[in-house]
This record gives sequence, structure tokens and C-alpha cells, in this order.
Amino acid sequence: MESWLVVVSILFPIICSLLFLLLRSPVIRNSIVIAASAVLILTSLGFAYFFGQASIDLHDILGIELNEIVAVLDFALLAYIIYVGIRLHSRIITILALAQLIPLAYFELTYREALQRSGALFHLDGLSIIMVLIISIIGSLIAVFSIGYMKKHEEHLKLEKSRQPVFFFVIFLFLGAMNGLVLADNLLWMFFFWEVTTLCSFLLIAHDKTEESIKNAKRALWINLLGGVGFLAGIILIFGKTGGVLVSGLLEGNNVPSELVLLPVAFLCFAAFTKSAQLPFQSWLLGAMVAPTPVSALLHSSTMVKAGVYLVVRFSPVLAGTHLGFMVALAGAFTFAVTSAIAISQSNAKRVLAYSTIANLGLIIACAGIGSPVAVGAAILLIIFHAVSKGLMFLCVGTIEQEIGSRDIEDMDGIMKKMPFTATVAAIGAISMLLPPFGVLVSKWLAIEAAVRMPVVLILIVIGSAFTLVFWTKWIGKLLAVNYIKKIPREKLHPTVRSTLGILLVIVLAASMGIVFLFNFFVSPQFAGITEERIMGGRGLLEIAGDGVIGSFAYFPIFIVLGALALSIPFILRKVSPEKVRQPYFCGENCEIEGNIGFRAEADTETPSAFRNYYLRWAFSEETLGFWASMISAILIIVLFVVSI
Amino acid sequence: MGIINKSRVKSPWVVHFDCGSCNACDIEILACLTPIYDVERFGIVNVGNPKHADVLVVSGAVNNRNKRVLKNVYDQMPDPKAVVAVGACAATGGVFKECYNVLEGVDKVIPVDVYVPGCCPKPEAIIDGIIKAVEKMNQRIDSEKKEKKE
Amino acid sequence: MIQTLIIVILIIIAAPIIGGILSGIDRIITARMQNRVGPPILQPFYDFFKLIGKENIIVNRFQMLYVLGYLVLMITSLVLFVLKQDLLMIIFIMAFGGVSLILGGLSVQSPYSRIGSHREILQMLAYEPVLIFMVVGIYLQTGSFTVQSVFDMNQPLIYSLPLIFIALLYVLTIKLRKSPFDFSTSHHGHQELVKGMLTEFSGPQLALVELAHWYELVLILGFIVLFWATNIYIGIAIALASFVLEMFIDNISARMTWKWMIWVTWSLGIGLCIANIALLY
Repeated sequence: MESWLVVVSILFPIICSLLFLLLRSPVIRNSIVIAASAVLILTSLGFAYFFGQASIDLHDILGIELNEIVAVLDFALLAYIIYVGIRLHSRIITILALAQLIPLAYFELTYREALQRSGALFHLDGLSIIMVLIISIIGSLIAVFSIGYMKKHEEHLKLEKSRQPVFFFVIFLFLGAMNGLVLADNLLWMFFFWEVTTLCSFLLIAHDKTEESIKNAKRALWINLLGGVGFLAGIILIFGKTGGVLVSGLLEGNNVPSELVLLPVAFLCFAAFTKSAQLPFQSWLLGAMVAPTPVSALLHSSTMVKAGVYLVVRFSPVLAGTHLGFMVALAGAFTFAVTSAIAISQSNAKRVLAYSTIANLGLIIACAGIGSPVAVGAAILLIIFHAVSKGLMFLCVGTIEQEIGSRDIEDMDGIMKKMPFTATVAAIGAISMLLPPFGVLVSKWLAIEAAVRMPVVLILIVIGSAFTLVFWTKWIGKLLAVNYIKKIPREKLHPTVRSTLGILLVIVLAASMGIVFLFNFFVSPQFAGITEERIMGGRGLLEIAGDGVIGSFAYFPIFIVLGALALSIPFILRKVSPEKVRQPYFCGENCEIEGNIGFRAEADTETPSAFRNYYLRWAFSEETLGFWASMISAILIIVLFVVSI
Repeated sequence: MGIINKSRVKSPWVVHFDCGSCNACDIEILACLTPIYDVERFGIVNVGNPKHADVLVVSGAVNNRNKRVLKNVYDQMPDPKAVVAVGACAATGGVFKECYNVLEGVDKVIPVDVYVPGCCPKPEAIIDGIIKAVEKMNQRIDSEKKEKKE
Repeated sequence: MIQTLIIVILIIIAAPIIGGILSGIDRIITARMQNRVGPPILQPFYDFFKLIGKENIIVNRFQMLYVLGYLVLMITSLVLFVLKQDLLMIIFIMAFGGVSLILGGLSVQSPYSRIGSHREILQMLAYEPVLIFMVVGIYLQTGSFTVQSVFDMNQPLIYSLPLIFIALLYVLTIKLRKSPFDFSTSHHGHQELVKGMLTEFSGPQLALVELAHWYELVLILGFIVLFWATNIYIGIAIALASFVLEMFIDNISARMTWKWMIWVTWSLGIGLCIANIALLY
């Protein structure tokens, strides 16, 4: 059963994506998108239902040498990237692709037989199933959201010929590849899917074909290719040292001492750092924000960039307790603190989200580097909660942007009046990124408890959390700002947009409420591979199981309190009559300008009231922090390699 | 309602609005805050915001230019509220009464509860005026309630 | 179970009474320091009931929600504290309460209230790390994040965490919004921001904010008690002494700028915490 699920979850989206290229009718395409999304969600739920640790060997099922096929496809893919590099006159892309193609060809041809003997090709466990659930559920919802979004987007661009077939082709190709990436057990397969996601990311960033988007897409491509080179180096080294390319063999076969594979794992971590846009590779993710918003939501926050952290979390048993693990944790925590600080200085909503994404990925990597059960648990929980909340936030920003024509946070002042639904959803999404008892904060809480034995990492995490509070709070403040309105209007949204926002909101809330279930069901089984003496601090976690009590913190009462508060909203709103409304205090010079609040300035001119948020650019801007942060993180990465030799 | 009425008398928060007085009354009002008079004994606090205030203390001769501001400040105070006009100018326009731009007293713009006469009044008188205004406010609330019942 | 319930109800009733009386004492002592007589000790309660009885005027409909959020979350964190739960989570919930009030201040389109709220955000930026480091220091001593573990210790925390205690006292001034850090909601009449974050809260809303402040005060003093938890009476005495010290600082210092606050808190406050944590290793 599991093997069929694996086949469906990888091949089905790819087949759908080919259909989009063939069938050009919008109606058929949209219905296929919705149907395919439903199938994908059901498949992923099937994984959850048949959950269990399992290794699946598809070798025999299809009767074809799958390893060979993947190798051929890999060469084709790299050849295409070289073609792209030549066509775009980008020498660095060509060189980096060649730097992958030549060693790969040498490696595959030299060790052909040994590679073909490698056994189980797919491996299922809590982590990969969680990733499949995220990719399939969030990814499908975002694909459905794109129906409404891309329609309006193309109307706005005034395209003569719709480019949606290509868009949905790449999106579904990506979903298939991403499922393959997290399910694959063979590192070479993983590498293939890794490169496919890189290419998808390139195509989607360049989708609007403006000068800026092509430039940013090129940068994203070469940075990710650089990571690909590191990945390949890691694979070859692992093969050289252990004679195998299976992840499960590496982690569970206790015959391999972890000291032996530290260097290759360091290379894999390097690849993960580029994919997850950790400092100093953050620039490509920020550039990727020119892509249509569903792309940012899908690839550049909730799924593709998670591939990097997935890799680090996957190898966390190797990292735990080593110097390499400490350096990885340090680099991740450093990224978390610095990018959270830079996010304070940003007023572009998508850039804030991008920085926050990088920061959270850094936190996940920090947890994975610590490697204790609590830390890995925190990392996996963060992957889940960050994916749902950040996906939701991006979709909200996209919806707002299409309505008001700006993605600047300052322009979102009073958005409640125009778009109450989206603004409320966005505010709840932002709160779920920030405050208890939502999942992100609970995982951050676990992270702090886990980092307590690594003071340097801990300090960075604590400082980063404080910065996080600043930029989220002032943004939520803008979203919720409103002066008195008699009747809350109902905004017009495309049905797919409204429904996906609603469903994602429900998922955000449900996931946070079900954190104990998620933990016990998916995360705890993950710890079998971690040996006893490497556990560094596991107090809070031991109490996490059981009757809804995490640590010693009663979880559900907080939800009851918040629920009661939410229930009081209609009562509060109803109780207030229009006669009680007063304008804000302006020293008695207040006035009303077309329903907005203003004041009389000199010579009695009526001036609208305006207030810009604090951005503290003198301290936290990219210019002041960016260079030094990149330098320090580059040094950290060099040290990371040095300690792993 | 007993405890709330009692609390009102015990905690009148004051916002001071100066309609262009000669500053003599203002100095006397501020003198109330000093250790000699110490209005905080009566729970009187000088707040800078009409939204927090119970008593509006007005000094100076209100004129056509600032009556709008006075009205706005008064409107922004939550009920129940009281107004104390401090000094001759606030009560009638005082020596400026005949001026082309001066209105004849604060009560032309907003309802006044207590007039504290003098040019300028003593701090004791001002404190007395504020307390009287609050008591008057309470009486007004009680009588309004009785009317409602009937 | 029933015992827990009784404790919860008791603390919900007792905390505001304690907090109100403490702020009454605060006002009297402040007055005495200024050579004045000062209000009666029950003055905060008179203010509270008066405000409850006032008209509920609004700028937008949602203000009451934020105030209730602030109040309810403060009560929740205090209850969790009294039930000796996880300290880190208590601090996070307290922060949620603070954020709720800030959002209330930001939700009205008034520059006074918004600048005040932004200053409050910066205050949180300043004190939040110190509070978390305090919890980490406690963890390193007790091996647990729960309040319970502090009470199980043999020797007072202050012996091993003296520097963190000083940092906490410093942060207390910010948290209680006292001079030199009273710039988000000044307690003096006339200032450039009117009443900062609280400008647009009036009547019952302001009363509830005041009530939440009392819960907050009790909770913060509770943190200080933790430092001498082996004998709770000594702990309470230390907490009261720190409170008097805060009044003293309040009266002798002028207001500083928020840049100064962040600079000093992050260098001195966090520096003290890190030094103390380093000493424990």
C-alpha cells in the first residue's frame, strides 16, 4: 500500500503537470488543479493513516532499473541548466552546472554496479511523512489559491497570451519533485529531486519575465547550484567512506562511526544552507520575492526552502554532540538573530516575510544542530507550524497586494476597513507566528529549553526572539488599525482565494491545538535513532506526552481563555452604539476628512492624520548589518568545515 | 451605585483648558498641585487628556477663535462630567468683555456647573469649586435617575 | 482539584487588592518624598470604581477586546505562576498580554497612542531577553523551568544569581513604567505624548487596564520573591523592599530617551545576565 502511495504522490503531480501543458482551456485546467489537489491531499492523508517506519524498494515493482532512469534524467536536467546558462549569458551558472555534471558522470559511470545494488529507495518515517503532509496539503491549497490569484495577476499584467499553463506545469512538477525529495532514501535520488526544485524555483521566479525577475532568477539559480555542488561532493565523499548512498543505511547501520562521515555531512549542511537561504546566501530568497505571491508562499517559505532544513534535521543524529553540530547550531542561531533584526527595518511586507522565513529556517537549523530529542522535536514542530502560518501570511499579503496595489506595510494602515476578512486572517496568521499558545511559539519555547546547554546559541535565540516580537507586533498593529465604521463591509474575493484562506486559517488553528497529538504521533518515533548518551537536556519533553500537558505548562486552559475572549467579540461589538464614538484626541483640533481622521493644522487647513511605524534604520538596516553579518556567517561556515575534517 | 458615586467625589480627575487667560488663574490652578495645597489629598489629579478627565477647568476669556477647540475638548470627555469656570474672564469675559472677539463667558459655549469668582481666585476656592462641581454632578445623576424611574 | 480551584479563585480576588493597596502606598510614599500629604491609601480603588462608572466612549469598536485580552492574559499568567507552572511560558503569556495592550494602542489612528505603543514595543525589546535569561539562570540552578523547582531548592537563588537579580531590578523599573522609563504611558499629567499608549482608553477600559496593572505588579513582585523562595517571608520582604527602591528611583530620576534605555538594558542588563550565566558554568 505504501509503495503505491509513494508512486502516486510523486508521479501523479508530474503527470498532471504534463496535462497542463497539453490542455490549454482554463476551465479544464482549473478543474484538474482542484481535482489533483484533492487527490494529493488524500494521498498524503493515506500516508498518515498507514503510518509506520517503512523502507520501500520500488526496484522490483516497476521492473525497470530506476537508478538508471534517474541518472539519465539527472544528466538531462544538468544539460538543460547548462543550456539556460549559455542562453542567459551567465558564465557562473554554466560553470557550476558543469561542476556538477562532470563529477556526477564520472561517479555514476565508475561505480555503476555498486550504485545499482543499493537497496531500499524510499524511506518512510515521521519526518518524511510530515514533510509529505505539508507539501501535499499546503502545496495543493496554494495551487488552488493560484487559480484566482493568477487570473487577476494576468489581468493586471495585460498579457495577450495566458502563461498559466506553464505556471501550473512548474508548480505541479515541483510538488512531485518535492514529494520525491523527502521520500527518497537514496542520496542520488534526493540530489536529482533537489536539482529539479532548484530549476522549478528558477522558472517560477522568472515567470513574469521582467528584467528584475530574470536577474533575480539567475542569482537564485547559481546560488542553489553552488549548494548542489556541495551536495554532490557530500554524496561522493559518503560513498567513498562508507560504500553506500542510502540515508537510512548511514543513520541506522550503527557500523558507521559518526566521526567518519562528518566532512560529507558538513558538505550536505552547506548545501542545506544555500537551499534554506541562510546567511550569507540570503540574497537569492529576497530576490525571489519578485515572483507571483503563490510562488513565494509555496516555494520560498513553506516547502522548497524546507528541503534544506529537512536535510539537516535528517542528519541531526550525526550532528548531535559533535563540534560540527555546534557550529551548525551556531550558524543557524546567528542567522536567526541577524535576519530577525533586519526584518525590523523593512517596510515591504514580502521582504519582512522573507526575512522572517530565513530567520525561522535558521532557528530550525539551530535546533537540528543541537540534535537532542527536545531540539529535534522543536525543529520538526517548527517546520510544521512555520509552513502553515507563513503560507497563510504570504497568501494574505498577495490578496492585499492585488486589492490595494502595494505591498508596503505603511499602505496597509486601515486595511480592516476595506478588507476585513483578509486583514483578520492575516492578523491571526501573524499572531500565530508570534504568540502563545500557537505552535510556533511553543516550538520556540522547546527550542530555548533545548538550547540551554549551549549558552552562545541560547543567547542568539533569545535575542532573535525579542526582535521577532518587534517586527510582528508593529505589523499586526497596522493590520488591525481602524477607526469607527458603522457596518463592516463584505469584501469581494475570488472563491478559490477566500476558501483557501479560510481552510488554511482552520489548519493553523487546528495544528496549534493538536500539537500534542502531532508530537506524539509523528515526532516522538523519530528519536529511536538517537542514542542515550547524546541527549543533552530532555526535561520538558518527557512530560509532553499524556494528558495535554507540555512540560509543566497547561496547554488547553490557554486555548479556553483565548476562546472565551474570541467568543466575547460579538458581544463587545454589539454593545457599542454610534453615539459613544469620539475622535482620537488631537488637542481639540480634530476633524473628519472623508471618513478619515485628521486635524486642523496652521491656517485651519484640514490635514489627514498619518503615522509611520518605527523602522530603526540607523541600527538594523541591511546596509548597517548586512555586510558584517555576511562576513561573520561566511567565517562560521569556514570554521564549520574546519572542525569537521 | 453607592460606591461609584462615592468614588466620583473622591477621585475627580481634572483637565485644564486655558482659553487665553492672562496666566494668573493658571498659576493659581497649578499652585493647587504644590505641596502647600496638595490637591492629591482629595484624589484630584491633573491629567493632560480630556478622555481621562471628569472635570474640565477653564480659565481665561473664551473667544471666537478658540471656542471650537473648547467645545471639542468638552465633547471628548466621557459622561458624567462637570465644568468649572475659574476666574472672572471665564465666568463673564471679565475685563475683556467688550472686546470684539470675546464671548461673554464659557457658558456661551459649554454648560458650566460651577463659577469660581475672583481675579484671580485663591487656590482654596478653586479646590472648593472642583469638589462642588463633582457633588453637583452626582446630584444631577441622581435626579436624572429618579426622573427615569418616574 | 478543588484545592487548586480555591487557590485560583483566591488569587484572582486577592491579587488586585494587594496590587491596588501597593499602588496606594506607592502614591503616598511618592507624595511624602515630595513633601506632600498624598491621597488616602484606598485612592486607587476610588479611581477604579469611578472609571468603571463612566461612559464607555470609543474610537473604534475593538478597543475593549484588546483591554480584555491584556487583563485576561495577565490573570492567566499570574494564575500559572501561583500554580507553580513553567516560568518560560508564564513570561511568554505575559508578553502576549503586553502585546494585546500595544495592539489596542496601535489600533486607533492617533499619533500619540501609536508613538506610545511603539515605545512600549521597544520597552519589550529591552526587557524580554533579560526575563528569559532570568529563567535560564533559574534552570541552570534547579534543572527545571518550573516555579515548583525553585521552591524545592535548599538555598535561596540570590546566592547563585546575584547579577541576574540586579538586572531584574533594573528591568522592573521598565516593566512598572516608572521614571526614568515612563515614556510609553507617562504617569505625569503633561507630556509630549499626552498619555502615550493609554491616551485613547477611557472610562471602563482604563479601569480594566488599571486592574491588569495590579495583577502585573503582583506577578512581577512574585518573580522577585523567587529569589528567596526558601523562606517566603524573607522573599516577600525583599520584594517589598525592591518596590520601595523603585519608588525611590522613580522620584529621583528624570526621564531618559528610549535609545538610552535600549543601549543600557542591552549592554548592562544582558551583560549582567550573561556574566552570571557564565559564572554558573
